[in-house]
Amino acid sequence: MRILELKDVNKSFGGLQAVENFNLSIEEGEILGLIGPNGAGKSTVFNCIAGVYPPTAGEIYFKGENITREKPWNLCRKGLARTFQIVKPFSSRTGLYNVTVGAFATTDKRAEAERRALEMLHHLHIDDIKDMRAGNLTIAHRKRLEIARALATQPKLLLLDEVMAGLRPTEVDEMVKIIKGLRDNGVTIFVIEHIMRAIMALSDRVAVLHFGRKIAEGTPKEVASDERVIKAYLGDEYGTA
Amino acid sequence: MGRNTIRIVPPVLAGVIVLALPLAVRNPTYLHILVLLYLYAYLTTSWNLVGGFAGVLPLGHAAFVGIGAYTSTVLSLQYGISPWIGMIIGGILATIAGVIIGLPTFKMRGAYFALATIAFAEGLRVVVENIDNLGPFRLNGPRGLQIPPLKTGLLNFMFATKEPYYYIILFMLAGVLLLTYVISRSKLGHYLVAGGEEPEAAMALGVNVARAKLTAMAISSFLTAFAGTFWAQFTLYIHPKSVMSLDISFEIAFIALIGGRGSIAGPVLGALLLRPVSDFSRIYFGDKLPGLHLIIFGVVLILVMLYQPRGLQEPLTRAYRSITKKFLGHAEAA
Amino acid sequence: MRFILEDTINGILMGSIYGLAAMGLTVIFGVLKVINFAHGSLLMVGMYVAYWAVILTGLHPYLSLVIVVPVMFLFGYFLQDIIIKPIFKAEKDVREPITVIIVTTGVWYILDNLSLLVFGPQYRNIQDNPLRGKMLEVGGMLLSVPKLWGFFAALLTAGAIYWFFQMTRTGRAIRATSLDREAASLQGINQYKMYNLAVGIGTAVAGIAGVSLVPFYNIFPSVGVLFDIKCFIIVVLGGLGSMGGALLGGMIIGVIEHVGAQFMAATWTEAIVYGIFLVFLFLKPSGLFGVKYEW
Repeated sequence: MRILELKDVNKSFGGLQAVENFNLSIEEGEILGLIGPNGAGKSTVFNCIAGVYPPTAGEIYFKGENITREKPWNLCRKGLARTFQIVKPFSSRTGLYNVTVGAFATTDKRAEAERRALEMLHHLHIDDIKDMRAGNLTIAHRKRLEIARALATQPKLLLLDEVMAGLRPTEVDEMVKIIKGLRDNGVTIFVIEHIMRAIMALSDRVAVLHFGRKIAEGTPKEVASDERVIKAYLGDEYGTA
Repeated sequence: MGRNTIRIVPPVLAGVIVLALPLAVRNPTYLHILVLLYLYAYLTTSWNLVGGFAGVLPLGHAAFVGIGAYTSTVLSLQYGISPWIGMIIGGILATIAGVIIGLPTFKMRGAYFALATIAFAEGLRVVVENIDNLGPFRLNGPRGLQIPPLKTGLLNFMFATKEPYYYIILFMLAGVLLLTYVISRSKLGHYLVAGGEEPEAAMALGVNVARAKLTAMAISSFLTAFAGTFWAQFTLYIHPKSVMSLDISFEIAFIALIGGRGSIAGPVLGALLLRPVSDFSRIYFGDKLPGLHLIIFGVVLILVMLYQPRGLQEPLTRAYRSITKKFLGHAEAA
Repeated sequence: MRFILEDTINGILMGSIYGLAAMGLTVIFGVLKVINFAHGSLLMVGMYVAYWAVILTGLHPYLSLVIVVPVMFLFGYFLQDIIIKPIFKAEKDVREPITVIIVTTGVWYILDNLSLLVFGPQYRNIQDNPLRGKMLEVGGMLLSVPKLWGFFAALLTAGAIYWFFQMTRTGRAIRATSLDREAASLQGINQYKMYNLAVGIGTAVAGIAGVSLVPFYNIFPSVGVLFDIKCFIIVVLGGLGSMGGALLGGMIIGVIEHVGAQFMAATWTEAIVYGIFLVFLFLKPSGLFGVKYEW
């Protein structure tokens, strides 16, 4: 079943066309990667899907339902969760508190929310930060906290925005394992990434965005050997990190 | 003695002292001061639900005090309705007003909301000051309304001595503190904190930030109106400048901010520290140095915002905790 | 009918003075992106400075500008430098510097009550100044001369501010800082100095408004409160950051007050102004000119 469909999505800001005629669909249970040089419009696509702002033209369907103009909190209730490129933890609160906020999306009881929050922390292997102030955590922990928080809302589709940025190579590998584990638990993943080796190892399929337009789509191997993609990146991104 | 037993001692002791205070303090002036102290603690704690937890800056809460005071007074003077019922009705009216203000402004920058509350509060005061009658209701403009102390008794919310008022406001204060505690641990509390700290992230987690703020606003205005009724019944005379002035709105906000908004103890601590300053500077310097206590408030506010933006409750709670830890250490060694 | 025209014109004239005061606020907002809640109190200070300058030196009220403008500029400059800058620095990444609002509210309180303490609550005015009560007759209508001067002062000031921000290097540096302070500082512009300048200018403009008012308006410690709220309303009505909007918004308020005073008590017009503000806030919060940070 197609869990997410983007039809002719366009987004412009004033005179600047950030995304142009973008078509994409994601099957349930997939891990789809979105790559492209800086400024290609990847986060814009995410923001359109996640309801931060509506597309200038085009439509977005989630589980068959038209969600083009839905608000972020309603999307979360429907099962669409996201993380942010620049993590936004509730810094003055503990790790547990942060994830509990997410857990409240599907329950009204604090005890239940906290229980699920602890589960999520465990899932992401960050149980020991539960009583630590979120603002004091390392970047690696903060990224996992962000994912745990989004996961606590029990999403069907998870949008991950550059979760690997700032991580060391060993941390990147761990994260790849964690994300694959999420998919095995029934969450479809749509990931934006810059670190080639991560996204190639992670994704079932990859789409490439360049100046707001999709220039390639296919398996990681197909995309990596695509001429246009190599030109867009000037060939020196693949092989780094 | 176990650790938990020792931890409970200070609060329980404080509770006992507070309950027994009227037995020791016989001077009606001092009792009056204490009652007003608790009243302000109540007002700031109610304010805190919006100003602290929701993270916005309401600067017109006196409007709700005024709505409460006038509603219950008019209803009891003209129609003989018990002030308790008038209190509830006043609360409902205040809630409606609060929600109407919040609806469009919570989605905008914080400054717009602050301005809207000021405009609403001042607009209301100006209107009440200039009309003698609102339809069938007699408001008496700037001269205000006087409540003749005729029938006493609980049902009429009227007492000959100060003691009953003391216990009523104490009860109200305890209630609102308990409510704040319950909310802080609830879903609404979590959502308010999230929406206040990182609204974008909160929204992505399913939090309808505007709606959470509105809920907090509704609760806060409802409870604030109660204070208005209490004030009316306690002082037996209300007029626009006494229950609706901008000074009152600002004093509430300043005290909560200095004490520490967003915390449970902050507003109460603020009231405990600042109200005596206000009362005593007025008593001793009233004529010679008018407005001195407001200057002190302003200076303290700026200093606190510069050096302890989370309020004085932060260093005070830390000190309290280190003292109790030392105490516990001694107790366990013994 | 003639009276309504006369009231309207006097309203426009008075309103332009309101607009002048609001311009100072909008300059500060346009650059710092915060609303200075102490603006009305700064206006009050300007009025007192003008008053004492005239009383003590016998200067013509408008000549007191020579003293008022520099004093107010420095006052604003250091207010920003000493009290507001530290908070700015602490809240650099926060989207909504609410603490600045709180602190400027504190400044408002201190200034108002300090002047109450020092100058006393009595209403003052400059009794025998050459402009008091002077009227100009134009086409059978009586126009207030000091308000007419205020009108010209407002236009001149608006022009001067526009010229400053568009044409001078410092002005453009300030605008650059307001648009993107990191980029500006990479160009060698000291962003905090720019903020100080902006607040200094905004306060100086408030001083000019104060001087315009002094010949005919009463001076007392809480005079700032009325203007403070009015300035906010005007700035929101006209669109935050817009000079023309501030002027136009001020004139609208002035007209409502003057024309309305014919039909109802002055305090009712106050209520109407609040009402209009709330309506605007609910329906069109970006104001008449809709553009947020326009110069």
